[in-house]
Amino acid sequence: MNQPPEQGIKYIDSTVYLPYDYIAGDYKTRYLQALKDKRILGSKCSKTGKVFVPPLGNSPESFAPATELVEVADRGILTTFCIVNIPVIGRSLEIPYVAASVALDGADISIFALIQECKPEDARMGMRVEAVWKPDGERQGDHEDILYFRPTGEPDAPQASYITRL
Amino acid sequence: MPQLRNVAIVGFAQLPIVARDEHRIATDMLYPVVRQALADCGVERDAIDYQVAGSTDYMDGRPFGFVSALDATGSWPPRQDLHLEMDAAFCAYYAWVRMQAGDCDTALVVGHGKSSEGDPNRILNLQLDPYYQAAIGLDPISTGALQASAYMARTGVTDRDLATIAARNRTAGARNPDNQLHQAATPEELMRSPWAVEPLRAAYLPPLGESATCLILAAEGKAEKMCDRPVWIHGTDHRAEMQALGGRDLSRSAGAALAARRAYSMAGLSAATDADVAELTALTPAEELILAEALGLDPSGSRPVINPSGGPICGHPIMMTGGIRLGEAFRQLSGRAGARQVAGAKRAIAHASQGHCLQQNLVWVLGSERRWT
Repeated sequence: MNQPPEQGIKYIDSTVYLPYDYIAGDYKTRYLQALKDKRILGSKCSKTGKVFVPPLGNSPESFAPATELVEVADRGILTTFCIVNIPVIGRSLEIPYVAASVALDGADISIFALIQECKPEDARMGMRVEAVWKPDGERQGDHEDILYFRPTGEPDAPQASYITRL
Repeated sequence: MPQLRNVAIVGFAQLPIVARDEHRIATDMLYPVVRQALADCGVERDAIDYQVAGSTDYMDGRPFGFVSALDATGSWPPRQDLHLEMDAAFCAYYAWVRMQAGDCDTALVVGHGKSSEGDPNRILNLQLDPYYQAAIGLDPISTGALQASAYMARTGVTDRDLATIAARNRTAGARNPDNQLHQAATPEELMRSPWAVEPLRAAYLPPLGESATCLILAAEGKAEKMCDRPVWIHGTDHRAEMQALGGRDLSRSAGAALAARRAYSMAGLSAATDADVAELTALTPAEELILAEALGLDPSGSRPVINPSGGPICGHPIMMTGGIRLGEAFRQLSGRAGARQVAGAKRAIAHASQGHCLQQNLVWVLGSERRWT
């Protein structure tokens, strides 16, 4: 009785099941809806004029409301990047590939983006990239509507044009 | 009792509690509340030294989800910030402790989170130990029913007594526009509702709600400049009991009793009946009776008035319910309580709890005058 069992029950299985039902909120609803039309919306800070993508209800920086929605371009500048050599959960991409921050033209913060049609050794800061969208009729209004970004072949942007938008 | 630093609540704002805000994510709910609380104090965000937020990432479904609230609290340039996986009232306690240590003078204390996006009963089941209690599917309603049974067996309290408590809260709550439930009710009506888990009926329990709250605390010297009637903290104490439900007498709250005794002593409050208002985080009518016993209150007496706001039965935004009790005490003592104002209220008791069956208790005594001179 007082000895620990040699063949005890060493583990219990405990499966946690927690369903969630998120609302997008009015700002992100309009942002997601616009993706169906190949448009990308941001919100503009009423104090500084900075544009946030995806839209935020207020500027985290100035603490002022950012309720005006504005359209930004579906192309921009690769500001910083990394080369992924390990498989990532939920993605079956051929490795290595480039994951990057992209500052869209007209936006003051960058978004995370997958870069394709680009050899990892060709990726560089300042490279111009554009969105490749899902075909018409297949876009659902979610982030998968943009399949990836690819190089445009335009001349690289000067560092001063994106150094504050990394 | 040594001299402590006089600290006051100088502002409080909350969104009216709703079952589900279909238009706003949690941070979009929080932002206007923080702005309003600051505006009521006549200050900009830069006037605040420290911020503490209460929420639960399980409700949010994202590890470190609380970090998103920084976007809504004016966190640039980088601020001193703390997050607690606790009700906002416990966050206020941390802010008060920091002020006693002298390392800040002003603090923003927020509560946020959308309980409608997750499944609170499943989530709160996970607070229990994983071997014996969580595994059999206990949730806060069933543990609350165990607690109510234990209390009824010890005291002889009946279903009608529970209905009377619930009806008093519901009737008071009809005067509070921030509540989720606005309809007054009689004990007879409530006794006709079906059992949720016997001996608790559905109408004795809070509906699940969501909101956003913001308290502002300030130390003497700044508090008077931010509020025409600062509400001073006279005493506070926080006690935690063991997790195992079988290890404690559920029909009593030893933690609430000890926290109350210590808080009253700090406050120089000789008896609870010297307070004008008591706001209790009682999630069932039985819990209100257990707390009344622990805190020395008379649930059928006239002083102090218990839960003039309507209490949690009229609205229970998880992680904010205790903070709202503190906010309601502030409203009462600063003359901001509208139709539910208790005339001439000068001292208030506010209570917050967390965990199943009052596992953690936090008691505040507040007054319209400074405690220490």
